[in-house]
Amino acid sequence: MSDPSMEVKLEVKQASKEVKESENVAEKYSAMTVSKNSEMNMGELSSAFSAVPTHKPVKKQIQFVEDKQEFSRFPTKAGRRSLSRSISQSSTDSYGSAASYTDSSDDESSPRDKTQVNSKGSSDFCVKNIKQAEFGRREIEIAEQDMSALISLRKRAQSEKPLAGAKIVGCTHITAQTAVLIETLVALGAECRWTACNIYSTQNEVAAALSETGVAVFAWKGESEDDFWWCIDRCVNNEGWQPNMILDDGGDLTHWMYKKYPNVFKKIRGIVEESVTGVHRLYQLSKAGKLCVPAMNVNDSVTKQKFDNLYCCRESILDGLKRTTDVMFGGKQIVVCGYGEVGKGCCAALKALGAVVSITEIDPICALQACMDGFRVVKLNEVIRQVDVIITCTGNKNVVTRDQLDRMKNGSIVCNMGHSNTEIDVASLRTPELTWERVRSQVDHIIWPDGKRVILLAEGRLLNLSCSTVPTFVLSITATTQALALIELYNAPEGRYKQDVYLLPKKMDEYVASLHLTTFDAHLTELSDDQAKYLGLNKNGPFKPNYYRY
Amino acid sequence: MEEERDQTGTSWRNLPQSDEYPKPRLEDGAVLNGEAKNKTTKHEPVKCNLNLLQMLKAAESRSPPQCQGRYRAEESGYGTRELVTEALKTGTQIQFPEQKPNFNKHFANTSRHSPADSISQLSLDSYSSVCSDSKDKSSPRDKHQKTSKGFSDFCIKNMKQAEFGRREIETAQQEMPALMVLRKSACGEKPLAGAKVVGCTHITAPTAVLIETLSVLGAQCRWAACNIFSTQNAVAAALAERGTSVFAWRGESEEDFWWCIDRCVGAETWQPNMILDDGGDLTHWIYKKHPGLFKKIVGIVEESVTGIYRLYQLSKAGKLCVPAMNVNDSVTKQKFENLYCCKESILEGLKRTTDIMFGGKQVVVCGFGEVGKGCCAALKALGAVVYVTEVDPICAVQACMDGFRVIKLSEVVGQADMVITCTGNKNVVEREHLDRMKSGCIVCNMGHCSTEIDLLSLRTAELRWEHVRPKVDHVIWPDGKRIILLAEGRLLNLSCSTVPLFILSITPTTQALALIELYRAPEGRYKQDVYLLPKKTDEYVASLHLQTFDAHLTELTDEQAQYLGISKHGPFKPNNYRY
Repeated sequence: MSDPSMEVKLEVKQASKEVKESENVAEKYSAMTVSKNSEMNMGELSSAFSAVPTHKPVKKQIQFVEDKQEFSRFPTKAGRRSLSRSISQSSTDSYGSAASYTDSSDDESSPRDKTQVNSKGSSDFCVKNIKQAEFGRREIEIAEQDMSALISLRKRAQSEKPLAGAKIVGCTHITAQTAVLIETLVALGAECRWTACNIYSTQNEVAAALSETGVAVFAWKGESEDDFWWCIDRCVNNEGWQPNMILDDGGDLTHWMYKKYPNVFKKIRGIVEESVTGVHRLYQLSKAGKLCVPAMNVNDSVTKQKFDNLYCCRESILDGLKRTTDVMFGGKQIVVCGYGEVGKGCCAALKALGAVVSITEIDPICALQACMDGFRVVKLNEVIRQVDVIITCTGNKNVVTRDQLDRMKNGSIVCNMGHSNTEIDVASLRTPELTWERVRSQVDHIIWPDGKRVILLAEGRLLNLSCSTVPTFVLSITATTQALALIELYNAPEGRYKQDVYLLPKKMDEYVASLHLTTFDAHLTELSDDQAKYLGLNKNGPFKPNYYRY
Repeated sequence: MEEERDQTGTSWRNLPQSDEYPKPRLEDGAVLNGEAKNKTTKHEPVKCNLNLLQMLKAAESRSPPQCQGRYRAEESGYGTRELVTEALKTGTQIQFPEQKPNFNKHFANTSRHSPADSISQLSLDSYSSVCSDSKDKSSPRDKHQKTSKGFSDFCIKNMKQAEFGRREIETAQQEMPALMVLRKSACGEKPLAGAKVVGCTHITAPTAVLIETLSVLGAQCRWAACNIFSTQNAVAAALAERGTSVFAWRGESEEDFWWCIDRCVGAETWQPNMILDDGGDLTHWIYKKHPGLFKKIVGIVEESVTGIYRLYQLSKAGKLCVPAMNVNDSVTKQKFENLYCCKESILEGLKRTTDIMFGGKQVVVCGFGEVGKGCCAALKALGAVVYVTEVDPICAVQACMDGFRVIKLSEVVGQADMVITCTGNKNVVEREHLDRMKSGCIVCNMGHCSTEIDLLSLRTAELRWEHVRPKVDHVIWPDGKRIILLAEGRLLNLSCSTVPLFILSITPTTQALALIELYRAPEGRYKQDVYLLPKKTDEYVASLHLQTFDAHLTELTDEQAQYLGISKHGPFKPNNYRY
């Protein structure tokens, strides 16, 4: 990555794609802003749209090529491993959705050049504008209400301070939800320094609010690539302070520390990594024998997986379709491509509304599950002429091809719930004979010469990120899992974790779930001593063997 | 458990990630085993003996004509117990004390591993229903019988039943399309040519279809029964008539049982090179009596939880000298025997016994594992108000997200119309709960064994038991309150409903493919260890059954396969995929 000649080559290779992709990402983020703040007035709305492209100096573009390239590279390789995991990576991206009303400051000067001081006199941070702290505090308080698990974790563990002495350096999206996580870690005794893992996703006011309370945050919305690495460096490289834990999302922080400060790893107790990409990088390191501290893969925990994929998609598919197209589902013929966790979620939601759902699948086991759940398993070609809606969630590419789009009937809807935007062959639609008509944000009509219209949502990008919201409850699961992984790694007795990548212990996974049960007012039954003995279990878990499928 | 992780077959070993997930907590296994051992010694053997007996009886009593006598005995007073004690006196049942402690031991040990597995082992028991015993009291061992072709290397009850048996088998064939497809698709190349399979399973019509499929695929088979009560005599006769050496009849004594196994294995002129076992008795016998045979044996395929536990023990002790295949834990088999099977049978079981209407009824389902998920889905679909009790927070969250209230049993027991247990645990419903139930509440069990409902506590002087129809007891409190207890707390779907043949087709198909896999594997792929069925084979089992649904599988293009980094023909998912 840091090899410039490499970069140039990649840039050239990607040249054709570059423009489009960078547009996509920029638009995606602006779109999120829009969808979240629907109360925003029209003037602001249009400025939000135009804001990104106009503000984009060349530097930023480069970051994109870089960033993009990586994103598309890793999922490809990891795709096999993570068909259904696809979304978890992206769901965190949508963190960026929450309010950005304070973004309107026209201050063009880089935060790096300013010296800011919080009310306590500390200036060990770098954010857009410390004065926004009060707004940010309100954001954080709202998020806290939906993240009762972290709050109860604070209460339960506050007296013993399980993270006392921990010095955590973190690199995640900086949003209200992350702020709740960071403040929980602080409440549990940790010292934190934080930076953003994405140049666009930072909520400036939240960063300000965190800085105000004394957490060293280095992040603002719209960093350049140079800013990005500068922030990470400032975060890590602080005299008199050596981190002993890493919380990473995407692996950039870990990568930077390996390159620049390999010595710091002597003190590091462990790495907690959340994204598919980062986990993949860690496994590569581990295979190469270069991983010198234990790492925890929180991405594959049962609770997180189920929530990021099954439940999240079940909730958001209807929302996404309704918002964009106002379609009615009863009796509609819908084809869902892929019956993994995401597909199962989509099908359950659509079936509940009375849609006639068919499935396409390549894996016979999943196909059999679909049959037993009462869905017809078909090939897309067999039904393409009759379908009203096609939803892709395979993690594969070119699942819906131009040939199939040609044969669809007038007014049918095509959208994607899987990862990246490769599932629908959108590029094949960019031909001169087809007219593209943007009818509203995220909705394009593609008009064939004979007048047939196919409705494409979000240009084939992830529908639930582009056109709907990710519930805070889901983010709460992720944050809680991260906090517990940190506690587990920090408090583990010497020798429990070697220099390898570990899955979250089942017991911790169960604890995350139990913290969230209070939201449902659910009352867990306890095993009696007698029963525990009969089952050969500990009364407090873990309750299932590792290979249990849930 | 650790072994399973390590030895998950080789055919997907080339996948990068299979060993990339280290298990963080090996301590687990150790603790577990330690605890398990304690348990074995302390477990009340008498009570559990009863359980198995009851279960077998349940299976038996479903065979209509010849069991009438017993049926009546059961109806007058709670017959099973009496029957059991009676039975234990007679010679034929010596088998029981022997076999039982085993069963029970393993169950107890493995229960941690398989709260939800419970059915897999038992589902076959229920299968013994059809076909009649003749009144002939002489032991088949004393008779000399011949088939129409002069073949006499077998020992069954009565050769004349062959025709009935053939009809049974033909009926079963229709419901087992997967095996028939396998016959057709593989009979050109005869993948099992040269294989000599010695088998020890329940001898029922589905097994017969399996055996004949193996023959079509080129294998020579010799077969014995793994259970002294489960053999369908007519089916055994039909198999013998076609030239398979079968040694089995219903109601063997223990001595007969081992004699059959020995005859099956120890034919002077014939040496097996594959073992298909259910329960591990055959493997055990060969280890004890004919250890020399293992030189020629290519592999063992084992189906039951019990047998697999025994194999793992052997493997741990370093005594396993051939590769063994654990087919019990295959995805397809597990999903079908628990989730789908229970989803289908819970309603039937309740309807048949109580004619209840489900709409708006308040139902408590104890446990939200695979069985519990199946039950809840079925009940919800009929409009019942379903509550769930659960000990595992992850399963509890799943229940919440599926729209079920998670409560403690004691909180709602006063207003519940029905309580269904499927935890695999014991004493989930206690006397205290039963005391607080409202009149007319139905109590039944879908989990394993009859330990989930604390029945012993109901056998007190102040409560009156009234047997209202087969499998339905009213337990009457002094104040007139009635609790309706189904199947005396035994497994409802075995006692009061049927197991769909389609589900029974999954297991034999898996077994056949496991045999082929072991037999055809290149030298060195399988070491002397216990393996899980390769994912690819598992996927093949599923794909064979897809035809029943007229389902059309999509195929990957070369480009797509490359993008995903998987082979076009599977396996499609990593090993840790949860389905």
